[in-house]
Amino acid sequence: MAQTPSFSREAMKQYKWFLSRYPTRRAALLPTLRLAEQQFGELGVAEMRYVADLMKISPAAVFGVVTFYTHYRRAGTGKFHLQVCSTLSCALRGSEDVVTRISERLGISPGETSECGLFSLSKVECLGSCDTAPMLQCNDDYHEGLTLEDVDQLIEQLRSEASQGVNG
Amino acid sequence: MARGDTPMTRWLLNGQEVENPTGMTIMEAAREHGVDIPDFCYHPGLSIAGNCRICMVESNRSPKPIIACSERIADGLEIKTDSDVAVEARNSVMEFQLINHPLDCPVCDKSGECILQDHSYTHGPDRSRFVEDKNIRHTKELGPTISIWGNRCIVCTRCVRFCDEISGTGELCVVERGDRAVVDVFPGIPIDNAMAGNTVDICPVGALISEDFKFEARVWNMDRRDSVCGGCARGCNIEVETLDGYVKRLLPRENLEVNDWWMCDHGRYGWRHLYSENRLTTARTANQELEDDSATSTLADFVSRAKKVAFLIDPFLTCEELSLIHGLSSSIPDSIVGGWLPPKGTAEQFPSGFTISSAKHPNRRGAEKIFGSKVFGKDGKDLLKALDSRKVSTLIAFCGGPAEEGPGSSWSEAIRKARKRIVFSVMDGDWLKGASLVVPATAPLEKEGTWINEDGRLQRARSCWKPGDEPFCPELVRLQQVQMACEIRTRCLSAAGVFRELAENIKAFSQHSHSDLGDGGLPLSRRRARVDSKGGTR
Ligand code: SF4
Ligand code: SF4
Ligand code: FES
Ligand code: FES
Repeated sequence: MAQTPSFSREAMKQYKWFLSRYPTRRAALLPTLRLAEQQFGELGVAEMRYVADLMKISPAAVFGVVTFYTHYRRAGTGKFHLQVCSTLSCALRGSEDVVTRISERLGISPGETSECGLFSLSKVECLGSCDTAPMLQCNDDYHEGLTLEDVDQLIEQLRSEASQGVNG
Repeated sequence: MARGDTPMTRWLLNGQEVENPTGMTIMEAAREHGVDIPDFCYHPGLSIAGNCRICMVESNRSPKPIIACSERIADGLEIKTDSDVAVEARNSVMEFQLINHPLDCPVCDKSGECILQDHSYTHGPDRSRFVEDKNIRHTKELGPTISIWGNRCIVCTRCVRFCDEISGTGELCVVERGDRAVVDVFPGIPIDNAMAGNTVDICPVGALISEDFKFEARVWNMDRRDSVCGGCARGCNIEVETLDGYVKRLLPRENLEVNDWWMCDHGRYGWRHLYSENRLTTARTANQELEDDSATSTLADFVSRAKKVAFLIDPFLTCEELSLIHGLSSSIPDSIVGGWLPPKGTAEQFPSGFTISSAKHPNRRGAEKIFGSKVFGKDGKDLLKALDSRKVSTLIAFCGGPAEEGPGSSWSEAIRKARKRIVFSVMDGDWLKGASLVVPATAPLEKEGTWINEDGRLQRARSCWKPGDEPFCPELVRLQQVQMACEIRTRCLSAAGVFRELAENIKAFSQHSHSDLGDGGLPLSRRRARVDSKGGTR
């Protein structure tokens, strides 16, 4: 990541296109943040500031949006971001057990990143996959209808992916 | 009840047919009829957010209760604010609001003026069914003067909207969501603007805390007095809160003609010098301290025997004090009067229209009405010249500002050239050395009287002193006593009485009296319907 983040020419073109699609500049914030995340890998202080300056909205407003959603990759997130849905359907189907299992296996609590930097664990709001509860999202992929064995398997699989250098 | 050409809407409020200007919200309209619908997130000076839901009422147009702060009245609309549906809705909202609230009222600065406390008492169930653990949110500094006690935050976003819409500085945001949501700043960008203090006032709970007032007083123990800020020529309407006669806090007071609901931080925190070590509270001659009474008689002595007298006035004096000085100067043949002004400060204008004046004093306009428009201009220069060429033998000077160096370099030099110097000053300082008589002077918050702001509005300031426990005799009284000793006055009057004399003597004031100025003041030039400025500053 560059010292001062800045959009590539290609990304800038896409940003302009976002602007043309929304009635107000501020409304284009969500996709622009997604774009920034793809460009810069994560959304830290410098990245959020860049987006705020670019879009001429206050850094605080950007900060509020980034932290409202669990879906953005915040600075310091591990290579694999395990986001366990904790909303109603998943909660009823045992999401709390899923969280506990991951915590035990990785030695981290929700909101933390493992020392090796591979895993981050969060509890998130409904991910819109209630019919396959309980579920989690790892980076861009959904893992649905989870059993505790599935959880163990997933962690093993991610570990081996990491050691083989496959991108998660 | 037609109001001019305003189109009116007829609707039903708790079974009674009522009328209000079309377009009003249910909440505002109901309040006009004395029906108070509770609020948290609504503030008359901010955009409507509609997020707290405490204002829910029953409507004939909707199967569910609706929020009165954002829904507007309409012909035939039927609103019930006290039906079972409405009461139940408010009850539930209160229960939700209190789920994670720490209820630490005993150590909370907002206690006693907290809307959550009030509504909990009036609209809330008397106990909670919540047995789970309450969640914890951050307590941290948000800026040099303000911190957040996050557990108390009800996420009404008043403070965030204030920074976005009124100060235009946008430092605050709500981070996270759901029960973790709380107000914060962007990392490394603190809330630090000249209007920031207002966020603490409008926070309905004790989440935003002013470091200046933290743990200073319980609000119910303080005395409140309506007054006017003397920090600049804007003259924001304020409430001065005191404990045992000492200022503890200043709050803005609503006046849509002057300051809306706000005041600036310079004015808000600009009173510490009143109690500083260098505050002058006792009179003295060149070689000894004086009792307060003998200060007055010494002063009277000087004045009655003085020759080649000059008065140096300042723009902090009230119209009443100026009127008394005017009386004295007119009774002394050939006396001259000039004025000094403190250096210009910076003006600031905010997106909401709120302005801080560059003139850091409250009453230049008043002095000019009484002594003529040149008093700080040519008359001041003439006085400087007269002092320089030693044509003044007795100078009576006033220095009501917060600066310890007095009226500033050019004046301090010149003042020394008067053979006898009598100086009324708020602060002690080197420039007072060698004065024949130094008299303690009242600072803006200690004065009873009127000022004219930069828009020509005449407004009443009131003293923060505890009656009967004044630390020294205020100029308003002392100058009258001197006049009595000089036999140009027979009795000592109140500020209102002195104003009456002023109104008789100087035409510009002739249409006014203290009582008709009310709480919100009036334009000097025009008589107007009294502006009702009640309604609080929360
Ligand atoms: S800090 Fe106060 S004003 Fe701001 S959102 Fe929280 S409760 Fe509302
Ligand atoms: S704008 Fe002027 S009058 Fe108003 S609070 Fe600030 S200093 Fe006082
Ligand atoms: S509740 Fe878990 S996906 Fe909707
Ligand atoms: S006052 Fe109406 S929703 Fe908050």
